[in-house]
Amino acid sequence: MSKYLDLSLKEIHELLKKGEITPTILVNECFEKIENSNLNAFINTYKDYALLEAKKLEEMNVPDDILFGIPIAIKDNIMVKDMKCTCASRMLDNFVSIYDAGCIDYIKDHHMIIVGKTNMDEFAMGSTSETSYYGAPHNPWNYNKTTGGSSGGSAAVVSIGIVPLALGSDTGGSVRQPSSFCGIVGMKPTYGRISRHGLVAYGSSLDQVGVMSRNVYENAILLNAISHLDKRDLTSFDTDIDFTREIDKPLENFKVAIPSFFISDIIDPEVKEKIMNIKKILEDNKIQVDIVDIKYIDKTAILYQIIAMGEASSNLARFDGIKYGYSYPNPASLDDLYKKTRRYGFGEEVKRRIMVGSYLLSGENAKIYYNKALEIRDDLKKNFLDAFKKYDLIIGPTAARCAYDLGMNQNDPLKGFMDDILVMHANMGGFPSLSMPIGLNRENLPIGLQIIGNLYKEDTIYQLASFIEKKVKFDSKKVRNGI
Amino acid sequence: MEYRKTIGIEVHCELKTKEKIFSPSLSNYGSIANTNANIIDMAYPGVLPQFNSEVLSFAIKACHVLNLNITKKMHFDRKNYFYADNPKNFQITQNETPIGTNGYVEIDINGKKKKIEILEMHIEEDTCKSVHSDKYSLLDYNRAGVPLIEIVTKPCMESALEAVKYLEKLRELLLYAGVSDCKIEEGSMRCDTNVSISKTNELGTKIEVKNIGSISNVGEAINYEAKRQEEILEKGEKLREETRRFDDKTRTTILMRVKETGNDYRYFPEPDIPYVNLTDDFIHDAINELSRMPDERRKDYEKSGILPINIEKIIANKEISDYLENFLDINLVIASNLLLGDIQSYLNKNNLKIEDTKLTHQKFRDLVNKLDKKEINNKIFKDILIDIMETSKDIDDIICDKGLNVSFDDNLLNSIIDNVLSNNEKIISDYKNGNTRSAKALMGLIMKEGKGKIDPSAANEKLMEKLNSL
Repeated sequence: MSKYLDLSLKEIHELLKKGEITPTILVNECFEKIENSNLNAFINTYKDYALLEAKKLEEMNVPDDILFGIPIAIKDNIMVKDMKCTCASRMLDNFVSIYDAGCIDYIKDHHMIIVGKTNMDEFAMGSTSETSYYGAPHNPWNYNKTTGGSSGGSAAVVSIGIVPLALGSDTGGSVRQPSSFCGIVGMKPTYGRISRHGLVAYGSSLDQVGVMSRNVYENAILLNAISHLDKRDLTSFDTDIDFTREIDKPLENFKVAIPSFFISDIIDPEVKEKIMNIKKILEDNKIQVDIVDIKYIDKTAILYQIIAMGEASSNLARFDGIKYGYSYPNPASLDDLYKKTRRYGFGEEVKRRIMVGSYLLSGENAKIYYNKALEIRDDLKKNFLDAFKKYDLIIGPTAARCAYDLGMNQNDPLKGFMDDILVMHANMGGFPSLSMPIGLNRENLPIGLQIIGNLYKEDTIYQLASFIEKKVKFDSKKVRNGI
Repeated sequence: MEYRKTIGIEVHCELKTKEKIFSPSLSNYGSIANTNANIIDMAYPGVLPQFNSEVLSFAIKACHVLNLNITKKMHFDRKNYFYADNPKNFQITQNETPIGTNGYVEIDINGKKKKIEILEMHIEEDTCKSVHSDKYSLLDYNRAGVPLIEIVTKPCMESALEAVKYLEKLRELLLYAGVSDCKIEEGSMRCDTNVSISKTNELGTKIEVKNIGSISNVGEAINYEAKRQEEILEKGEKLREETRRFDDKTRTTILMRVKETGNDYRYFPEPDIPYVNLTDDFIHDAINELSRMPDERRKDYEKSGILPINIEKIIANKEISDYLENFLDINLVIASNLLLGDIQSYLNKNNLKIEDTKLTHQKFRDLVNKLDKKEINNKIFKDILIDIMETSKDIDDIICDKGLNVSFDDNLLNSIIDNVLSNNEKIISDYKNGNTRSAKALMGLIMKEGKGKIDPSAANEKLMEKLNSL
């Protein structure tokens, strides 16, 4: 089996340019790896399509675009025309998309080759990918551990080296937490950076498409490719900057903050130790690192849940058995159609969140819970903006602990919520945030560093991330070579 | 003591924008079912609302003519409820920040003016049109996402007449603002009426009557409903809050559903649409596009001497009234008579609109001026109407080509009359002997000689003058 996909994108591109390899070779290697892996990371793969696309590309001159011909995996809640888009739900088990998401337009424009749709928590609701109708994916670092979620499949396939790049979605850490658990780089950009057109909505005011890769540079390259203003998403914007522009520039007068909550007792000691190690590396390189208090930072996870579930209860109302997707056969009435379609079409966690969300928006509750959550969200955002007046970036762990055993969170809906507590602030405030691997724990499971930037400051995040990447020299190949 | 009626009205009007409010699908009425529907209208997974700012401009115009305060910073809300005609199972509407608040419409009740107060006006999207049969229902997504405005009055009307007058006036204003077709029969205007009766100052139990198919039926429904409620109260029974519909055949109201304790629509701000900030410039630009409102036009028509009955006919036909706006400087009585009379019948007969014909503004202006100056008479106009409407020739050419050019040259007229008189002494003496029909015979001869080149009324006048002086 060839191992071209283990090379960097720059190296692959050189080989493609020289004609030493072809996109078909890359696609074949990718599918060999898929067929040899048992991670349950894909829901559907598209080998015939991928080979056909590869063949088309071979008739073209290789352009100066290092994404050309690169296989990519897409989370199964992002629409790709003529491919199924299941959201890991029985509700959409047979749903074939008739349109491309905004970000997919650009994936195709760059001649990347979509090889499959990845496993995830049902409708992105979960942090272990176990709520998937198709069963949970497995963590490449340890088969019995969770990949995290909800973009668990995307994290797993990048981690194991099936594809160099993948797209996920991040409503409350769903790109960053599995990236942390699987030892890869995952970025949730500023809210509105990537069009949400074609991303199946969970919590509309929190959702963002995210990019997942093996290293920082390639992450920035993929973000460059798919960030655009899209009139089909009124919250999207365009700033036209090159996210790689600050990479390798000296970190002069850089100031970094670590919120005290991010290194408090809720954090696993091994994780905390690695974070403190990063602090030391930075300080050794004359970067000021302060431990700061940010008001509300420890209290907003529950508010995040109120907003996400409230919005989800409304967003998922469209799955009613009338227009598409699963439809309960021969219902007795319209109400019966609604009830049975949703009873049998949705899994338990989705139904739980819809029920709680509906309750939170009911009557006076909307004022007590949802509107109140929106108010405090504004305050939280303001507190972060204040911090960014003094500091370039905020860092901390991505997750309080490393990947844990599959099945651990089942039947305890509250446990999974612990996975949100360090990552959802970025969604609440719309801030860009990246997770990158900084080492392994004693069980050889990856530990992730989270870097949160001010609005639109992805380039600054990449600058620090790239610097740290060079210092910690995390060996991502370890997982592929057998630990 | 008698029961007093209290009436409040909610009107939904479809705005006639080119595209739908949250998708680029066309918004026109009468297309083949489900041809104006895209992934947004059908609530596909992953789609988001787009925004058609033409809707804002239309809504601002409506606010202006209804004297509403315009909310400059506003947002949209989701109204969540499950129904088959509601593709997303939520409707995007304005719950917290309606675009218009606290306005009024002035009506005239037997010469007395009354202001009907409007509580608010908000923007929302229409649902699918559904057609029900025994075993199934059909949905037409063409209507899903058509922009609507909903106009809600205070419970301030006291009679069916007031309600009818209010609706007529509202319809007229929205029509003239150019924002809606206001066709109840096509569903582009829908009226829901709240009726309660009471003997005290406290309002009685509110009963809603929906789906009323015409403005006059609103009046009938109100009177029927008030009487029905009175009969129930007089029996000593209690009323309950309910929704009824007006039945066209039986001319009665029929129970649809009893209202349960406050519908729970789980409103919350629509996260996919950013807040809208209306700038003063945007508002002014929209208002500046408004044409003149009916009452202003009525004043001009009155001043020009158009009969009251014709004034109302013109106002009721906005196309004619709009056409007249181009001709306020010429004889409006003649112009309106032409438009309401022969031109209208020509258009109706041929199923045309005025802009489909060859009648240019210049031609119409010429025509009216020639009639006004008596250069042509009504008979000639009727003779040349088809040529005016169907050829590009100007009026003079048409008259000339048809040999209808009437001379107002006194010399020509005098010589023709003198010639006829000198050759027909017998007839003249008959006339002198009291045979009045002889004058007609002379006129015939004169007109024959003049071959349509002379004006009959002028000729007649001149002939009588000459005969009587002989």
